[in-house]
Amino acid sequence: MHRGVEEELLKAIKEGLADALVEAKVWRPQRIEVRVKAEKLIEAARFLRDKLGFDHIAAVTGVDYPEKRMIEVIYHVWSTGRMVMLALKTEASRDKPSLPSLVNVWEGALYHERETHEMLGVNFEGHPNLSLLLLPEDWDWSSKGYPLRKDFVLKEE
Amino acid sequence: MGSKVEAMTLSMGPQHPITGHFRFILEIDGDIVLKLEPDIGYTHRGIEKVAEYRTYIQNLPVVERVNSYCDSMGTLLGYPRVLEELMGIEVPERAKYLRVIAAELNRIASHLYAICLVAISTGFETMLMWTINDRELILDLLEMLTGQRITLTYPTVGGVRYDLPQAFKEEALKRLSYLERRLEDYRKMMLENHTFKMRTQGVGVLKPSDAIRLGIVGPNLRASGVKADVRKDEPYEVYDRMDFEIPVLKNWDCYDRALIRALEIEQSIRIVKQALKELPEGPIRARIPPLPPKGEAYSRVEAARGEFGYYLVSDGKDKPYRLRIVSPSFRNLIALPFLCRNVPLADVPIIYISLDLIPLDVDR
Amino acid sequence: MLMDILAFLTSPRFIEAFLRVIVFPGTLFTLLYAILAVWGERKLHARVHLRIGPLHIGPIMGLFQVIADFVKLVQKEIIVPRAAHRFIYNFVPLAAPILAAMSFAFIPCAPYPFYYGRPGPPYWVIYYTDLSLLVVLALFSLRPLLMIGAGWASNNKYSTLGALRAALQLFAYEVPLIIALAGIVIAVGTFDLARIAESQLVVWFILTQPLGFIVALIAMMAELGRRPFDIPLAEQEVVFGWPTEYTGAQFALVMMSEYLDLCAVSALITILYLGGWYGPVVPFLPPQASYVFWFLFKVAVLTIIIMLGRAVFPRLRIDQLLKAGWTWLIPLALLQVIIVLLEVDANMSWCIPAIAG
Repeated sequence: MHRGVEEELLKAIKEGLADALVEAKVWRPQRIEVRVKAEKLIEAARFLRDKLGFDHIAAVTGVDYPEKRMIEVIYHVWSTGRMVMLALKTEASRDKPSLPSLVNVWEGALYHERETHEMLGVNFEGHPNLSLLLLPEDWDWSSKGYPLRKDFVLKEE
Repeated sequence: MGSKVEAMTLSMGPQHPITGHFRFILEIDGDIVLKLEPDIGYTHRGIEKVAEYRTYIQNLPVVERVNSYCDSMGTLLGYPRVLEELMGIEVPERAKYLRVIAAELNRIASHLYAICLVAISTGFETMLMWTINDRELILDLLEMLTGQRITLTYPTVGGVRYDLPQAFKEEALKRLSYLERRLEDYRKMMLENHTFKMRTQGVGVLKPSDAIRLGIVGPNLRASGVKADVRKDEPYEVYDRMDFEIPVLKNWDCYDRALIRALEIEQSIRIVKQALKELPEGPIRARIPPLPPKGEAYSRVEAARGEFGYYLVSDGKDKPYRLRIVSPSFRNLIALPFLCRNVPLADVPIIYISLDLIPLDVDR
Repeated sequence: MLMDILAFLTSPRFIEAFLRVIVFPGTLFTLLYAILAVWGERKLHARVHLRIGPLHIGPIMGLFQVIADFVKLVQKEIIVPRAAHRFIYNFVPLAAPILAAMSFAFIPCAPYPFYYGRPGPPYWVIYYTDLSLLVVLALFSLRPLLMIGAGWASNNKYSTLGALRAALQLFAYEVPLIIALAGIVIAVGTFDLARIAESQLVVWFILTQPLGFIVALIAMMAELGRRPFDIPLAEQEVVFGWPTEYTGAQFALVMMSEYLDLCAVSALITILYLGGWYGPVVPFLPPQASYVFWFLFKVAVLTIIIMLGRAVFPRLRIDQLLKAGWTWLIPLALLQVIIVLLEVDANMSWCIPAIAG
């Protein structure tokens, strides 16, 4: 049953996103991956939410790839109607990482984006409040760095 | 006529009888809370970063500490599953059943703890004592199974770590039937208690459309009328062979969130009984290759508090490249400031506790 | 000089005064009541909670646990916050038990042939006055002032919130209390608690004014600050309400004042509604002792009932509490008074002792 859903979703995504799309594929039943360009992120997100029914945001993850000089940000979104999880991937350059914020599309991404910002340094433009969430109040990024980046080494005794 | 409201800032800080290790910053005008801002991070241990420095097997107890004291199986089960998905391992049948039994027992214990907290947030000491007392029965069972009451570390990559001891089945059935009778007592004592209903009905109403928009998961979502449960939407282990229901409620308030936990305890008892009856013989662990391939995987598990997600990016080495832990309380956190706007101060603990936010789960 | 003092100390007047003020119904009795009440509450709640309660300290069933807790509290440090108003902050824990004990001083407990060795009203009471009900109610009204004082003087937002809630609740619930008690006063025709008790020789007021009893009991529980009305004190929302900042001996005194108030309230309701010291004849006791026995028995029963309320009910919210007071208790109390007035008008002497003489 689900095999059919992913294929037709993939077709709809390829038609709908057209030039914003970099790559789209199916991992396994109930998992789809879509990679879009950073500039078209908000339109792609709106298309996925309104036309294809991906309404339930699960997570926002940032992965640091220092050798590729980019930080990949992945939005995992679940569709309650079609029971499929979509991984929406974009890239931000590692030197001044900046992406448009998807808080207006999926409001549940509020704290997730804030955490990704403080841990990896990705600036989400349009986010209402990008202050420190989990780190201590006196954390200074310029002296201590961003914790989840690969150059932040945990000192273990 | 613009009159400026003189709001007092009150910090329900990390040391407070009801918030656990959570800090809220409230703006109060008289008795009405205008705005609530959660200030989390008091128990942040950086487990996602620590996980990158440990091998996959060494990570099992580390990752479990995200939330071990309430729901160890729910927290941990997704981690071996994400590795099994990546490596393409098939877990033996007996191990699947054992995982289901332990997970559902842990769900019962966690829901009993949640009901205890709901009771004490309204000042109902008696229910606190009763539910914590009954939770001991389940913890004794888990101790029989793993040697640990709370930090079980029961599943491992490829199966489970221990097999069922001799007298487990009879003990479990005895205790579960006692628990079913106790649920009747809870219903009469708390759920039909007029004062409890006065405190919790109509408080913190979360509409289904808001719940989906905000990304709420778990019993909160089901109490808000949305039929979404990972055990039915994306069945894992042997849940597709189990006969159970997903209760969904209609009033969307704090009373429903307390009620649905009691209903889910009933369903969990059903599942454990079926699983104990159908338990097959066989090995409890599968052989696993030494290293996972390059790739990524996302696994979802229905923990007691909601959907627990693990997103693993592996680069072929023995340590994870990136492990993202999507805990249900972190996803439910956004409901708290959303619901606590213009409510009386006395409702804030009730709303907070009914959402079942565990500070450890939120902070990781 | 020394012989005069010695003669005074051994005179029957002094010995009797000593008995009244220090032993019964004075200091020793109220302290013993407080100890037994705390112990009893812990055991009672433990049984309701399906556990056991204090078990080890004391000859039987953890009887001395309370004393051990008291000693532990007293030897802890008394912390006065730096920005607190020192005088009021230190004054309230001393005043609270004194105020509670003072209200109990006017309540007659049982008949007794002598009053300080001279002819006078013969009751076990520390100070006899024929306006005793009025005095006791007036002293009850002073309690919220102490709570507000402590809440403000602590310089703590939680204490302030607790004190404001205490003020709201206690002032609001005095109205139905006084209206319900007005029914008793009209029926008996006097404020004298001893006379009110004596007029219940044949039938108790709980039977002739049941509405008043219910209203008075609920209003007194709200005045005490006991669950389900413990909004000012011991809240999950407001850490501990107005006594949040108190530690050590001050905390012990505040807790003791709560139980002394319970003693005064139980005694008051016993005298007003439950027939005071009258009861069936106990076979082995002389009549004087049987009066005392029945009084203590009824006070104990009422205390247990009030304590059970804490085990069984969750807490109300302040606006629900006030709404319940205005929509239910005050109309019921007024209804009770109207019924009493109608009974007076109809000359029903079996329930209006004032008419019967």
